[in-house]
Amino acid sequence: MKAAPFRYERPLELVSALTLVRDPEAKALAGGQSLVPVMAMRLARPQVLVDLARIGELEGIERRDGELVTGAMVRQRTLERFAGLEHELPLVAAALPYVGHREVRNRGTVGGSIAHADPSAELALVAATLRARIEARSLERGREISAAEFVRGPFQTALEPGELVTAVRWPTAGPEDRFAFAEVARRHGDFALCGVAVHLRRGQGRVALARVGLLGVAAVPVVHEVAEQLDGAADPAAVAADVAGQLEPAGDMHASAGYRRRLARVLVERCLRQALGGPSGG
Amino acid sequence: MAEVRLTVNGTDVALEVEPRLTLVDALRHRLGLTGTHVGCEHGVCGACTVLLDGAAVRSCLMFCVQAQGHEVTTVEALGEVDDLHPLQAAFRRHHGLQCGFCTPGFLMSAYELLREGADGGLGDDRLREELSGVLCRCTGYAGIVEAVQEVAREYPDGLPAPKALGRPITVRRSVPPPGEEQALAAASAAAAARGQAAGAQTHVQVAVPEGEPNETVAVTTAISPSPVQTWELMADFMRLTRCMPGVELNTDHGEDTYSGRVGVHLGPMRLSFQGAARVLERDGERRRLRAVASGRDASGSGVQADVTVSADPGGGGTGTALRAEAKLYLSGRAAQFGRSLAGDVSRGLFTEFGACVERTLTTGEAVTPRRLSGAAVAWRLVRARAGALWRRVRGPEGDAP
Repeated sequence: MKAAPFRYERPLELVSALTLVRDPEAKALAGGQSLVPVMAMRLARPQVLVDLARIGELEGIERRDGELVTGAMVRQRTLERFAGLEHELPLVAAALPYVGHREVRNRGTVGGSIAHADPSAELALVAATLRARIEARSLERGREISAAEFVRGPFQTALEPGELVTAVRWPTAGPEDRFAFAEVARRHGDFALCGVAVHLRRGQGRVALARVGLLGVAAVPVVHEVAEQLDGAADPAAVAADVAGQLEPAGDMHASAGYRRRLARVLVERCLRQALGGPSGG
Repeated sequence: MAEVRLTVNGTDVALEVEPRLTLVDALRHRLGLTGTHVGCEHGVCGACTVLLDGAAVRSCLMFCVQAQGHEVTTVEALGEVDDLHPLQAAFRRHHGLQCGFCTPGFLMSAYELLREGADGGLGDDRLREELSGVLCRCTGYAGIVEAVQEVAREYPDGLPAPKALGRPITVRRSVPPPGEEQALAAASAAAAARGQAAGAQTHVQVAVPEGEPNETVAVTTAISPSPVQTWELMADFMRLTRCMPGVELNTDHGEDTYSGRVGVHLGPMRLSFQGAARVLERDGERRRLRAVASGRDASGSGVQADVTVSADPGGGGTGTALRAEAKLYLSGRAAQFGRSLAGDVSRGLFTEFGACVERTLTTGEAVTPRRLSGAAVAWRLVRARAGALWRRVRGPEGDAP
């Protein structure tokens, strides 16, 4: 299991990297925790590998008005240890420990995980649930893409050829926001069978916003809006059953479709109850 | 070749490497530091864990060139045979190892965990989670957890630094062993000859796959041309297959057998299957076509498919319900990595196939299907899921509890 030969480039500036990735045979290397294994298996054989690790423009975590902006090359572990993360981005803080293992998060990057678009990636799910904004750049232009529209299929994103993710803009939590995250995998750190992220906002005694995001049960992260149901005093169990009933998960050797759907129902109910502040069911 | 300068166990080293050489292979083969073990080579087992600037990382998931300018610490630096590091001593006391293969990984992972001291101690559950990045197949983990727990208690303010830093390191040249170059040349000549022989072969056989398929997909697309028009295209197999994204049949071997390649692009993954297809059944009356295909990729992945395409009158009395049913048999790396994606990907491919058949028939031209890697097709796949254009052929377990 050795990667096929490639040319290695380590640009120091974003513009050089953007020039290099215009080559259709080139592939950007961020933390390498997903790309290097598929290269070892020779499922991927890029001719040019563009290492983004020395580009200062892709580093750093910055507080801006109502959001936390993470450079694409911020390591997942750096974000996990960012002081105040559990207050500013409680959902990210709750989901990060489920991303691979400590050793993987030491190398894995925020932008790399988002751009790889693995259907069971926690960060992509959280980004879609929070409606984070993905900043992308090509030589021609820079643009922002809503995380809810970023993942287009398994390993498929809205990125165009020659475009790189440069940062992720996460909306920080307000005083009325509540969150919950839960996931079941065969082994800790393994690809999840099902994961659930919930973002709930109360205002004036009403449920103003309720989003339920699910991973592992479709080709892309799925986000359901359930505020109306919850506001209409629907029981979390009924909402969970409704959400799970709309899923069409695929079965594989790790879990059947029926088991995944059942798992989705249990985890959604548990997360909703946690976010609503009641006893956790399921 | 690229020159890499890095610090290993406190010693500066410089070496010329091929960019694809992993850090763990560089440590073992070029620097002679065989204490770091290499197991799975794809980031699962954790045996190759080393410290990179103090952080525990899997050295099989890094190329040596990425370590340029960084500081690497391996298990060799931890202690000496007669002066073990407290972690090593605790592993010995608690029988935290049997065969020892995973031990360097556990030691380096545990070192990072406890380096700053475990403030207020570590619960057993938390510790097991923190150590879950390394696999042990002998001990059942009990001894390992006890050893690390004991060190955590003994050193609440942090661990002693590695004891064996700054030793001289001899960089070995990268030279193939005597005779290996000739052996490699002979092997590649033999492979080329086999390839030529396969290319020259005129009698291509495609077996009907047997047994339980990995995945069964059925996609029905409503298209505007009539079933009769659709059948005209279906009757021309090579033209029909041009509507399947990534399929390029280029040789007609007679007896309704064809060969060519199928390319599948999925994010960073690119598979190119060389293979052949054979039409088993052409039923003009029922407008039904059944074909089998098989192919292999250089990565060692194999795929076999048994596909039936039919054109029935569309709902509402107009157009055609073009139905494709496929049984897929995957083997090798693609099956290993594929998880439950093969179904999603094939559904996307067949959905684009249906759209391309429509375009071909309505424009009367040879239309190329969009690649699956194109956002348009993938988006169609998502919409197909939501709109239930197709229905997954479900087993009994598919029903909601």
